[in-house]
Amino acid sequence: MTQPAGADHGFYVYGVVPADVEVSPDARGVGDPPSPVDLVRHREIGALVSKVPLDRPLGRPDDLVAHEQLLDATAAEVPVLPIRFGAVLSQAEAVVEELLGPHHDEFAAALKELDGRVEYLVKGRYVEQVVLREVLEENPEAARLREQIVGQSAEATRDLRIQLGEIINQAIAAKREADTRALAERLQPYCLQAAVRPPTHEQDAVQLALLVETDRGPELEEAVQEVAESWAERVTLRVLGPLAPYDFATTSRQG
Amino acid sequence: MTVQPAGGGAVERPGSTSLADVIDTILDKGLVIDAYVNVSLVGIQILTVDARVVVASVDTYLRFAEATERLSLGDARGQGVPEMVQGALGGSGGQAALDSGDQTFHEEPEPAREKSEADSEEGTPRRFHERD
Repeated sequence: MTQPAGADHGFYVYGVVPADVEVSPDARGVGDPPSPVDLVRHREIGALVSKVPLDRPLGRPDDLVAHEQLLDATAAEVPVLPIRFGAVLSQAEAVVEELLGPHHDEFAAALKELDGRVEYLVKGRYVEQVVLREVLEENPEAARLREQIVGQSAEATRDLRIQLGEIINQAIAAKREADTRALAERLQPYCLQAAVRPPTHEQDAVQLALLVETDRGPELEEAVQEVAESWAERVTLRVLGPLAPYDFATTSRQG
Repeated sequence: MTVQPAGGGAVERPGSTSLADVIDTILDKGLVIDAYVNVSLVGIQILTVDARVVVASVDTYLRFAEATERLSLGDARGQGVPEMVQGALGGSGGQAALDSGDQTFHEEPEPAREKSEADSEEGTPRRFHERD
């Protein structure tokens, strides 16, 4: 099973899966060099873990990518409850004694619920010039402010510029809300649940996480494609998936 | 700013998730281990990566204003959108454009960005050969 823990090593935990899963021997996790990934089992469930040195920080790009790739590749095959990046336990025994044992039924039920389901993420970003034009056309105040600043020195018109920018920012936020709602409604027939992610960029149009039956992934992608075509001039749309259900495995209400 | 080739497929389907996408996903989603484990939890140092939540600032506003100022309103209508956008932005196209856009707005260098597009398919669990 798992190697014994030294004081200088800990056990990094990626996620919880059903116990009948097998981990490929070449699976590698976080750390430099990355350690093999192991499955620590307890009754019906198991945890994907790997050994990490405790004296080195985690979070290099390779660590982040390794964490997600392991979970996404797992999710493509079996249900998995993803654990947030950075979870390290001091000893292998703790994986069973503190994580899997006390929460066995809760995790097992969540895994059952997630069986045959994966997450897709639809991300869209506004094409800047197009969205700015829309705002100027729809908002006379913005158009007026723009006229006042064009060709003027940035210093002299600083206050006007800030006013204009604030109006634009609010207008984009309103568009984001409307477009997100429209997309969610359009994709609703293809998913079991949807979760709106907050924007991570001021020109984000939409970030929508969807819980989808694995078999229906292609249908969903087709629907996203149709939306993308109708939005092509104003929004660049991307779809990511299948992913582990990051947005649907939450701590307060599992699975 | 990413511009789709005219008439091309509209949805981008990147071969692997970009580092920015990974950061958005795994740093604040999923189960929080602290809720389940107390005693044996190790507080290992995590290189902090900005989770990039947008807080609109004066800088954002000024940037929007400047971009608006640069728009050429009247005559641009007739142009195809891609040409228009490419022209104005110096033609940064393709998938990398999303990320470079981010960097413009986030002044502090994020070390994790440097190796974006890290793509190592190998080493992921495939299910289910022999356990070791």
